[in-house]
Amino acid sequence: MSPFLGPLDPDGCVPAHQQTKLSAFLMSAHGAQARQLAVALPWSLTDGWQVELHSQYCREIEILSLIARSTTWVADPALPFVLWQWEAAWIPQPAHGVADQSLALLIDLAAFGHALHSVIRPAALLPEFEPHNNAFALAMKRVEFESGRLMHAQIVFLKSQRLVPVRGAVSAAVERRHAQVRKLWDTMLNGMEIERSGRHNLAPAYQLKSAMAAIPTKIIESAKQ
Amino acid sequence: MPWLACNSRRIHYELAGPADGPACVLVNGLTQYVKLWHPFRDALVARGFHVASFDMLGQGQSDKPSLFIDQTDQVSVLGEIIAKLGERPIFVAGISFGGVIALRYAVTHGDRIAGLVPMSSFAEIPSQLYRLGAAMRTGLTLGGTTYLQDLLFPMNFSSEWLEEKSYLIELATHRGWLINDVYALANLMESFLDFEPLTSQLPSISTPTMILTGEYDFLTPRKLQDSLRVHIPNSAMVILPRAYHAFTLEKPELTAYLLAHFAEDVLGGRWPGNRTIWIGPEQVGGDLTPFPAEFDHLRAIPVRKAVSEPTQSEHAAAS
Repeated sequence: MSPFLGPLDPDGCVPAHQQTKLSAFLMSAHGAQARQLAVALPWSLTDGWQVELHSQYCREIEILSLIARSTTWVADPALPFVLWQWEAAWIPQPAHGVADQSLALLIDLAAFGHALHSVIRPAALLPEFEPHNNAFALAMKRVEFESGRLMHAQIVFLKSQRLVPVRGAVSAAVERRHAQVRKLWDTMLNGMEIERSGRHNLAPAYQLKSAMAAIPTKIIESAKQ
Repeated sequence: MPWLACNSRRIHYELAGPADGPACVLVNGLTQYVKLWHPFRDALVARGFHVASFDMLGQGQSDKPSLFIDQTDQVSVLGEIIAKLGERPIFVAGISFGGVIALRYAVTHGDRIAGLVPMSSFAEIPSQLYRLGAAMRTGLTLGGTTYLQDLLFPMNFSSEWLEEKSYLIELATHRGWLINDVYALANLMESFLDFEPLTSQLPSISTPTMILTGEYDFLTPRKLQDSLRVHIPNSAMVILPRAYHAFTLEKPELTAYLLAHFAEDVLGGRWPGNRTIWIGPEQVGGDLTPFPAEFDHLRAIPVRKAVSEPTQSEHAAAS
């Protein structure tokens, strides 16, 4: 098990079968988030929070377009069997303990978004010490970077004064979505012999000797120039 | 790999050093994780300490609560780690955010520990630090962990260290980005931006306390550490020459030497305490020098001290 994708092909790209699996998962999850945002978004924006919702919707569409166009897709006979499992998991589930059902759905939407944007870190899977200037790698970096920003709006909503009376229900909804997304993400990665937690075994760069051993000579030489 | 269960959360911790020595518990700063203590830990182990280090909730390999982290939960985790160490002299050293957690623990459980070492720490958040913290949090959400680290490097280290390690900074930033999750860091930062000042509770700490502060620390300036000294009765403040905020990383051997020196003094009944002020040595093996009594230790230029505070010789006479 490695913490990273690869080994890279001769052109320095993530192998097409890994790109396909990863992108299928991302498109399933971000696609579900985009659909749910579209349903929650009225045609005519009247309240301030709807402006943020509109922005989120647009960013999700951008992410979907980016992934679809930057991935080298190949046939994966196993995908249909896992796709239904992913799609079933993303179905909206109103937060328990919230009487107002539209609010309960909104909490779940934000909880799902928070889990999606915080647990899933595709750029962290790119092997270290490689240039990663191909479209797929740059798209993964872009998706992760935008996810951090999108998450901020979800945090603001989930921690807002409006939800203080139902804070327990909010916490439970977010924890549940986190556990669900983490489980599916880890299962998908394990299927490609990738173990996320392996990144914790890497030596910190401050520890000069071990870090020096970890860095290929070419990187040190180029950094010194 | 040892794990600890605390309030249904999983905590990652490490133990090192002789099983029968005095113990030292190291409490992380904000973006820190266990491995970053290794040079410091090894220096303490070489001096006969049994050392415990752990990832707080939201850090490294420990559980990362998705939305809310309460500082009292962090204090509970520290309590569980200390309980693991059994009956022996236990010293607790925390840096920056970790120092706050160590102080909170000492307020309620001071009798459980032999000594306390808050480093680059604080008990309240004045406007300057609050605004810096809030700006860093915004930077984190808009620019990601890498942007936050880009801000922290020059705040934490000297130019000399940054220059010497320049070819490693990129890798250090990358590894920090890999280990830390944006949401967990945001939760940690919020947990201390919201926190209630501790200052009024500090006088209840009777534990011998060595407050370490970097001469050039502008992230948590000396005034914040001096407030700890003024309010903790059995404390002394040691100013580390030419040190910035993260001196446990930049000067691990020297800091470990000072901590071991402190422990020896406490266990030998020689700890001066008494709210005294000292200048630390520049090298391992050097002595502490009393800060010149007639000068104001809070100023960067030599200004004579106002008469409101007793001088060190008066402190000594009183004791």
